[in-house]
Amino acid sequence: MEYKADKCGYCGACVAVCPHELLKQVENQIIITEGCDDCGKCTIVCPLGALNSEECP
Amino acid sequence: MKYDMIVVGGRIGGSVSSLIASQNDLDVLMIEKRQEIGTPVQCAEGTTYQTFETLDMKPSKKYICSDIEGAMVHAPDGRSIDLFEYGLMLENFTNEKTKGCILDRKIFDKHLAIQSAKAGTEIMVKTTVKDLIIKDGRICGVVAKHLGKTMEIHSDIVIAADGVESNMTRLAGLDNPKNPKDICSCAQYELVGLDVDPHWLHFYFGREIAPGGYLWIFPKGKESVNLGLGIRSPENTAYHYLKKFTAKLDATPVELNIGGVPLSGPIDKTYTDGLLVVGDAAGQVDPITGGGIHITASCAKIAGEVAARAIKMEDTSAKTLQEYDILWRKEFEEGLKTSLKYRKAADKLSDKDMNALAEYFVTNHSENFSKLGAIKFLGKHPHLLKLIKEFL
Ligand SMILES: Cc1cc2nc3c(=O)[nH]c(=O)nc-3n(C[C@H](O)[C@H](O)[C@H](O)COP(=O)(O)OP(=O)(O)OC[C@H]3O[C@@H](n4cnc5c(N)ncnc54)[C@H](O)[C@@H]3O)c2cc1C
Ligand code: SF4
Ligand code: SF4
Repeated sequence: MEYKADKCGYCGACVAVCPHELLKQVENQIIITEGCDDCGKCTIVCPLGALNSEECP
Repeated sequence: MKYDMIVVGGRIGGSVSSLIASQNDLDVLMIEKRQEIGTPVQCAEGTTYQTFETLDMKPSKKYICSDIEGAMVHAPDGRSIDLFEYGLMLENFTNEKTKGCILDRKIFDKHLAIQSAKAGTEIMVKTTVKDLIIKDGRICGVVAKHLGKTMEIHSDIVIAADGVESNMTRLAGLDNPKNPKDICSCAQYELVGLDVDPHWLHFYFGREIAPGGYLWIFPKGKESVNLGLGIRSPENTAYHYLKKFTAKLDATPVELNIGGVPLSGPIDKTYTDGLLVVGDAAGQVDPITGGGIHITASCAKIAGEVAARAIKMEDTSAKTLQEYDILWRKEFEEGLKTSLKYRKAADKLSDKDMNALAEYFVTNHSENFSKLGAIKFLGKHPHLLKLIKEFL
């Protein structure tokens, strides 16, 4: 999962859906811990398109 | 450091629960990770006067931008239904207590935090709670980080009011990550220049406008409106649909707000040893409308009261804190469950179904929704009849 910090509006929606709890919102950015399996759940809920699977930019 | 109660999150759920607990003489600390309470706004700011009654607050023009007198629903084919004229949602337009209004949440949320501080709550801003301190299975404090400095702060009760992302509920073992289908992805502009009645709401439906959700226009006084939408669809982003709808309007934004609304209904358990969950973190949001302000305020008030009683009894075990779960469910669970049922049925409506329903409302106006008219209509639309059976 590729995170584009400059497209993020730090709303926290993605944090709620990551099945492996890899996403954490620190005030104005998202930190992704290792272990992502590109399930795409965070991409679906991101209102601004800041999270994109590398295969589907 | 040791407090009676620590509240994680400093918006409606956090400020109301800390306010009530402080008024009941508890030693309270509220922690908010943003550097300013109330920003960025993640809300369309619509509520009813019930919110002020619940909070024993005198409604003030300081944070009320508009009083609502009517609403218009726009079907996918452009057909409009005036809800006031059709006697729908009448309570929200005529009854003084349940009348709708649009808040300025930056001012309202800050006002609540100020009231809480005046009652004695200590507040830390720009401080993120990273972890819960759990000893022998009970929660007894938090690990927080402020400007690079990590600290342990102890308390007898923690209140998780940390919104949709709610790391606290997961750390406490009360919730699991959500299905994207249950999160409404939202984008909103505060727009200047749109020519609309400052006392009317507008709702637009349709796959091309807001798939799996709806678009709203809520007036913020005479000068601006909140125009936003919520979607549940993997095809495009909420922002894409916002740009698409506003491209043809002669209006300009002064603010962009985004957010996720949990539409899965309440979580199964909102208490454990030493912890209570309130607001979006607890799923205290109407799954049809996405409205959470009034329910959150009401439940947070109950949480503050129950926490105060538990501290006075020197017993913050799950058994004592369960009272909160029982009390708020008594007031809201049935409504939330019914709404969830309706939402699941409404998820199955196609644009064609919605157009047919709108047509029914418009053409049967004079017949005053006679039973015979309804039966004839459903005879023509067996698919809708099936859905209505699911409702009942
Ligand atoms: C776009 C949108 C439109 C909406 N429109 C309406 C509407 O018109 N009417 C209505 O009634 N409801 C509406 N809602 C829902 C409503 O905004 C919420 O139900 C309500 O704000 C819930 O309040 P809360 O206090 O539970 O959570 P939130 O308002 O989400 O507050 C949680 C707070 O906790 C803080 N926080 C989170 N994690 C931590 C941490 N680890 N440490 C410290 N602080 C933390 C966050 O920064 C945040 O300030 C809308 C929601 C959205 C997203
Ligand atoms: S959902 Fe998107 S905009 Fe919101 S915090 Fe996550 S990456 Fe940022
Ligand atoms: S793609 Fe899936 S596993 Fe990877 S960060 Fe997003 S939600 Fe988590």
